[in-house]
Amino acid sequence: MLESLFEFLFKYRLLLFQEGDFAFTSPWPWTIGLILAAALAIPSALTYTAALGDSTAADRGIMAGLRLGALSVILFSLLQPALIITSVVPQRNFVGILIDDSRSMTIADRDGRPRSEFVARNFTGRESDLLEQLAERFTLRFFRFSSRTQRLGDVGELEYSGSRTEIGAALVRAQEELTGVPLAGLVMITDGADNSGEALAESLIPLQAASTPVYTVGLGEEVLSPDIQVSRVEIPRSVLAGASLVVDVIISQRGFQGRTVKLVVEDGGRIVASQDVALKRDGEPVVARVHFAANEVGPRLLRFGIPLQPDERVRRNNMREVLLNVRDEREKILYFEGEPRWEVKFLRRAVADDENLQVVILQRTAENKFLRLDVDTPDELATGFPRTREELFRYRGLVLGSVEASFFTHDQLNMIADFVSERGGGLLMLGGRNAFREGGYQGTPIAQVMPVFMDDELSDGSGPYFAEVDVRPTRSGLTHPAIQLGQNAEAVEEAWETLPPVTTLNPISKLKPGATALLEATAGRSSARQIVLAHHRFGRGKSIVLPIQDSWIWQMHADVDVDDQRHETFWRQLLRWLVDGVPDGVSVETDRERVEVGESVGFRAAVSDSAFMEVNNASVSAFTEGPSGQPVERRMEWTVDEDGVYDAAFVPTEPGLYEIRVEATRAADSLGTGSTFVYVMESDEEYFNSGMRRTTLERVADETGGRFYTPETVSNLPEDISLTGAGVTLTEERDLWDMPSLLLLLMSLVGGEWLYRRARGLI
Amino acid sequence: MRAFASLPVVVSLMLTSSSGHLPLPQASADESTPESTRIPQSTRFFEPPVTQEPRELPHHPAFREYYFSRVAYTGYPRGWARGLARGGGSWAVDYPKADQIFLSFVDRLLSNLDAYEWQHPVLLDDPELRRFPYLYALEVGYMNLTPPEIDGLRGFLLAGGFLVIDDFWGPREWANFEHQMAQVLPGYPIVALSQDHEIFSTFYEITELLQVPNVRNGWASVNGGSTAECFGCLPQVKGIYDENGRLMVVINFNTDLGDAWEWADDPYYPLKFSTYAYEMGVNMIVYAMSH
Repeated sequence: MLESLFEFLFKYRLLLFQEGDFAFTSPWPWTIGLILAAALAIPSALTYTAALGDSTAADRGIMAGLRLGALSVILFSLLQPALIITSVVPQRNFVGILIDDSRSMTIADRDGRPRSEFVARNFTGRESDLLEQLAERFTLRFFRFSSRTQRLGDVGELEYSGSRTEIGAALVRAQEELTGVPLAGLVMITDGADNSGEALAESLIPLQAASTPVYTVGLGEEVLSPDIQVSRVEIPRSVLAGASLVVDVIISQRGFQGRTVKLVVEDGGRIVASQDVALKRDGEPVVARVHFAANEVGPRLLRFGIPLQPDERVRRNNMREVLLNVRDEREKILYFEGEPRWEVKFLRRAVADDENLQVVILQRTAENKFLRLDVDTPDELATGFPRTREELFRYRGLVLGSVEASFFTHDQLNMIADFVSERGGGLLMLGGRNAFREGGYQGTPIAQVMPVFMDDELSDGSGPYFAEVDVRPTRSGLTHPAIQLGQNAEAVEEAWETLPPVTTLNPISKLKPGATALLEATAGRSSARQIVLAHHRFGRGKSIVLPIQDSWIWQMHADVDVDDQRHETFWRQLLRWLVDGVPDGVSVETDRERVEVGESVGFRAAVSDSAFMEVNNASVSAFTEGPSGQPVERRMEWTVDEDGVYDAAFVPTEPGLYEIRVEATRAADSLGTGSTFVYVMESDEEYFNSGMRRTTLERVADETGGRFYTPETVSNLPEDISLTGAGVTLTEERDLWDMPSLLLLLMSLVGGEWLYRRARGLI
Repeated sequence: MRAFASLPVVVSLMLTSSSGHLPLPQASADESTPESTRIPQSTRFFEPPVTQEPRELPHHPAFREYYFSRVAYTGYPRGWARGLARGGGSWAVDYPKADQIFLSFVDRLLSNLDAYEWQHPVLLDDPELRRFPYLYALEVGYMNLTPPEIDGLRGFLLAGGFLVIDDFWGPREWANFEHQMAQVLPGYPIVALSQDHEIFSTFYEITELLQVPNVRNGWASVNGGSTAECFGCLPQVKGIYDENGRLMVVINFNTDLGDAWEWADDPYYPLKFSTYAYEMGVNMIVYAMSH
């Protein structure tokens, strides 16, 4: 509306004034104009001041001013004002038109018509004004883009079946294709729902460098309503069999404010969990926390879905599928205890039924006398605590009980720190009379690994610290899988509140930056909180502290029922968490967990030896095996830019589950094997977050010197490219003297004087 | 496994050190008993078992890791003279001297164990019973548990507690013990522990099962007398497992470890019995705290 008014008054669109330069094109020199102006203005002024009549000085001043204004407008027009415009030479420049060919273009949110209808209407057939105008001015080159970008011979070939939208890659590809021709700009017709996961800024750099403007045309509604979407599922890619999972499901919605919907989790068609989710205000995402156990072994395709609601705009974004690899492995943990303690008995008892945990006990029963339990071979730990990296790094988790730091050699202390930072293992330090500061760990390499400071704020200094503490989960703890003793947050809180108090000898109250406390307690007179369970990432691994000395009370206290499983559940979850994500000597990961047939799958393998030193000279082979069961061997090459990392890629040819198994050897010695899975199936990714991304498209246009359009404003596109585009250009003048606004101004000034005179009775 | 310590040597050294005195707690047995650990009086001959008074927990600056907790159970009356003379029921045989000497040895043999140094009797119906996961009971042939004691012991064992039985002899006492345990753990069989059971090698390697005699028989055995307190009784170590195969109760039958602990300072009591008794005692502690 405003643009139309502007164009009516000033003859041209605002864009021309922005892009063009202003100039007077009169053949007379400006001095002549000045003299002429003086010749007209001076007599006028004299006439008005001389003829007094009934007028006052103010009247005369106003009337003289109006008259001089009218003369100025006439003079301005006589000087022939003009805009100097640089515009492209017709038919000498190319324009690349990139059309989104992904599935989201089929969403019918344009008055019930699909987004692709805009393309069909404007870029096919001879009746399209837009195509005609563009074709008059430019040589057009069409591209289609989704997960790939291809030249398009005929717009009718578009299928709208692409599984992803990669805007950045499409722009780069189109620019490369049009290198060497005068390129006036690129037109991108899309909903902007980029789901490539790549940063857009990098893709725009070559366009900025080549001064190639991008004109974006946004299709579809920015906000789809009513609609419910399962936006994200936070779940690990791999867990141990029997793991208790706490999965966060983020649900977005518009138009269903205040309603309650049911979230259902399915594993192979079997419902493993379901819960009601109360939706909040429109646009406000809800995090639903679902608890269930991963009991079925192998790669599992889990579905998190919400039943379709009435009138939903997008029907295929109510369900997300995620691949979860449930490993049936026995994770080996070393628990080194410096003295006979009940914790050993009750910890063993708690995890005895867990077939996926093997807790090897090394217990110092007297000076230089050790009890070994659950070792695999007679030689294992025969000389006490491991003295070499190979010996220690065979374990995935290490639990240190009440054993003084001076027991270890300096090399062993360093080795324990490396166990976490380099091997990626999990370290759990328990409380006790010889643990933490009381065990002399201050200033040792292990102190650096810990998530807490050992400075004492809780103790009053009058003697050895001792506190009986009621343990409670922190806010972070309520959502953490390790301490889930109930099916929901309320049940978890209640479960902890009803556990009996335990005792601690280690005053710990300060977290290191980046560390998180999961359990804590009020202790002593200090207002500081005794930390009971805290953790942080350290290098490749994790470090956890549990500075209490008798968690077995949670099993043995008179208030705890004999059949109560909280103690067992806590320890099982804690130890599983301890070894969760601990890498193997050979570990494999893909760049995506789901692809479609024909899409390339990149995968990388990190290879290290038994001391977890990266190996760059290994011979690494990958075996990819699809549903038909014929493994294909591929050689993986060292990436060079990263130690011990090898990569390769393959293109799946059939839908279904693919296993990628990697074997690494060095000089005929096996370094180990690793495997991962990838699911090949049609993706619904395009239907998620599929509203038109105006900000993304505006950003692309702004940063490249183009403009953003909607279907309603796109008619200006051909002219805009002509005026602002790159390529072969010429300069032209556009007259401004005949702008309607000047005539209106002149009439207003003259008419204004006449009205003033009438009003003042001066006629 | 006999890697570092030869128990007979340690026992000998301890017996001959400090002018022949054992490293007992400083005060005498009666004086050394903390006020808060006062225990019930014995049952009298021809009198029904007295109701045992609640016992308070010992007040320590911090809870200790290990308590040698002797079960002060309700028992049958045991003979006129003996009942009066000892000032305690059958649960209190050898008490507290055996406990004190045993703990003084444990302090040296299991040097890393944070053990409470004093005798520590507990009641089976005490709500705090489960705070002490290691129980020692003897003379169980005279045990006559009340329903609250039966419930308390059952809860203790099924929750994860460990009970050591000692010093009862012959079929009659066995029958009583079996009857009592059938009430505590109905359906849980008593089975023999073979010599290759871990409890015989957890700390010391015990290759031979000995019949540990009481002090008089011990003296007599030097001159070829019998070690048994009943005719033809052979020593046996038995156990009761829970449904998951975890050992809950160790039963030392036809043997008297407690007397060997108590009389370890007697120069006439044979060293081999004291050695065996201490080895077995230490093994049972380490086993209980790790299995």
